[in-house]
Amino acid sequence: MKSSVKLSFCRWDILVIAVIAVSAAVIGWALLTRAAASGDGLTAVITQNGTVLESVDLSSIPEGESQEYTVNGDYTAVVELENSRVCIESSDCPNQDCVHTGWISKAGQSVVCLPNRLVVELTGTSGSDSGVDVVIG
Amino acid sequence: MKRMLSLLFAAAMAASLTACGAAGGSSSASSAASSSGADPATAELFAMDTVMDLTAYGDNGQAAVDDSSAEIQRLEKLLSRTDADSQISALNNAGGAAVDTGSETAGLIGESLAYSAAVDGAFDITIAPVVSAWGFTTDSYQVPSQAELDKLLTRVDYRRVQVSGSTVTLGAGQSVDLGGIAKGYTSDRVAELFAQDGVSSGMISLGGNVYVCGSKPDGSAWRVGVQDPNNSESYVGVLALTDAFAVTSGGYQRYFVQDGKTYHHIIDPSTGYPAENGLISVTVVAGANAQEGTVSGSGTMCDAFSTSLFVMGEEKALDFWRSGKYDFGLVLVTDDGRVLVTKNISGQFTEEKDSGYSYEVVS
Amino acid sequence: MRHMTTRQLTLCAVLTALALALSYLENLIPLSLLVPLPGVKLGLANIVTVFALYALGPGQALLILIARCLLGAMFAGNLNALLFSLLGGLSAMLVMILLSRSRHLSVYGVSMGGAAAHNCGQVAAAVITLGTAAPAAYLPVLLWISLLTGALTGFVASLLFRAISHTNLMKA
Repeated sequence: MKSSVKLSFCRWDILVIAVIAVSAAVIGWALLTRAAASGDGLTAVITQNGTVLESVDLSSIPEGESQEYTVNGDYTAVVELENSRVCIESSDCPNQDCVHTGWISKAGQSVVCLPNRLVVELTGTSGSDSGVDVVIG
Repeated sequence: MKRMLSLLFAAAMAASLTACGAAGGSSSASSAASSSGADPATAELFAMDTVMDLTAYGDNGQAAVDDSSAEIQRLEKLLSRTDADSQISALNNAGGAAVDTGSETAGLIGESLAYSAAVDGAFDITIAPVVSAWGFTTDSYQVPSQAELDKLLTRVDYRRVQVSGSTVTLGAGQSVDLGGIAKGYTSDRVAELFAQDGVSSGMISLGGNVYVCGSKPDGSAWRVGVQDPNNSESYVGVLALTDAFAVTSGGYQRYFVQDGKTYHHIIDPSTGYPAENGLISVTVVAGANAQEGTVSGSGTMCDAFSTSLFVMGEEKALDFWRSGKYDFGLVLVTDDGRVLVTKNISGQFTEEKDSGYSYEVVS
Repeated sequence: MRHMTTRQLTLCAVLTALALALSYLENLIPLSLLVPLPGVKLGLANIVTVFALYALGPGQALLILIARCLLGAMFAGNLNALLFSLLGGLSAMLVMILLSRSRHLSVYGVSMGGAAAHNCGQVAAAVITLGTAAPAAYLPVLLWISLLTGALTGFVASLLFRAISHTNLMKA
């Protein structure tokens, strides 16, 4: 043999196991905290006629405060943005469907004002397990 | 010398083998990349009185999205009640004369008549004048008088519509609106286009008429959230779907309030009033059999049934499901806080914790 | 590297073939059901790497590794897999060379270290191929699995060593 080799499990092998196990745990923990820390990393994307008007990182809004974004077009609509949710707060469109929709707070959800061709959509991550790809209803 | 030659020879052989491998390797690399989530082709368009989102993965994604966008616009021109040049407008303005609407439109009308018969009139495309009377087509809402409704209801009867080949004849005073079935039909057409263009992973939402093609690029099922009618920020649950259609109808989606009363847009053809039968949301799910050259028809069915079953109410809807005449699954949200999921899809449905509903599996 | 004897050359060839066979075998096990990364494998071929490392030394073990990776990729007709197997194999090799220098560790410890390094190499290859850091999420699971596969590799290697200890296969 080129070098002698121990053929039975010994104490020092446990060191190797420990190193690997601990690395796995540390990496796992690091990944989890990174995912949680990047926010309820929600971004509100406001588009009109397919063109992005504004993209707002909701985590930049302090909790308890709200921002407003006014959209002009065929009709005027006011989008209200908070740290964890958004809604179309008011609109002078004829059917008010957008206002009736209410607040949305999860990635994939959207509020639409058809007469205004306005879409307010949430993208990003919102909690570890509520990631849906599309919402019906 | 011999060694050099043999080494060269071996290298040449290896290189030739690598050429085969490279062709296979690079295409599998690109398919690995695209099938593992490289950016999909997407499009968003406003059509059929709603917003539509298309997503297609893979090398042919862009072609599929482009073809689908064109198809959506074509169908809108064909079927829209508000477009003066559409086949439907021609039919509605014909005053009862037979109109050659072309085989596609006639076929779709024929299909809706079949669905009407299946649900005993809970779905009826001749409801158009009543829906207009409520102002839902013009966005100027009003509550029609009982007298006006009585008069208009005499014109609501799908059995008076005749379809023969590509010719359609409406009954006296009738007009039709395909709004309750057009998006579903369109989703079937898009599914066919996706199959034709070789897309194996994609997702579309035509104003809430969802079709998922295959599974997600990483192999997992598409996660379709069902909106909680009572809480805009929440879902009642999530459906894990592959190759399927799903449509939700609910009064909460479009309504107006007058004198303290809420009137929503899903009109019961038998009463002329918004249906109040104990359901606040109906979701219909069906598998797709999208293959090249065939239209599965499931999207059309889900669209038609989502409003019909809403009108029919819990008992009749479940009886209809149990009859087994059509193959679909249901998620019903009742006005007394229950969520009913039919057994055939309960395995794919994940309840939303803390939603406040009581969940039941129905068989 | 000093001149190989015919015996050593033959041994290398046989081991390469064996490694290829093991590679093919582990492809039959659908690991991608558990960990949906393309190219993720158990690393059974590392049995040969471990064995060659001790029996023939790092130089020839490396040769066998490279030959096995190249041939494997060519036979599979998939050049993309080459990146995965090379990065995995080389990482394993490196770590095992280092660990084998220690007189305290048994073949188990070395194999487990090799298996862990193998998986790290595979994840690195995935990150490079897909262009996103997303595959890193599978690392914790893969590392735990590597403890098992490493133990298995070590076990088989120890059987091998015991079996040939009576023979003079290893005599240069």
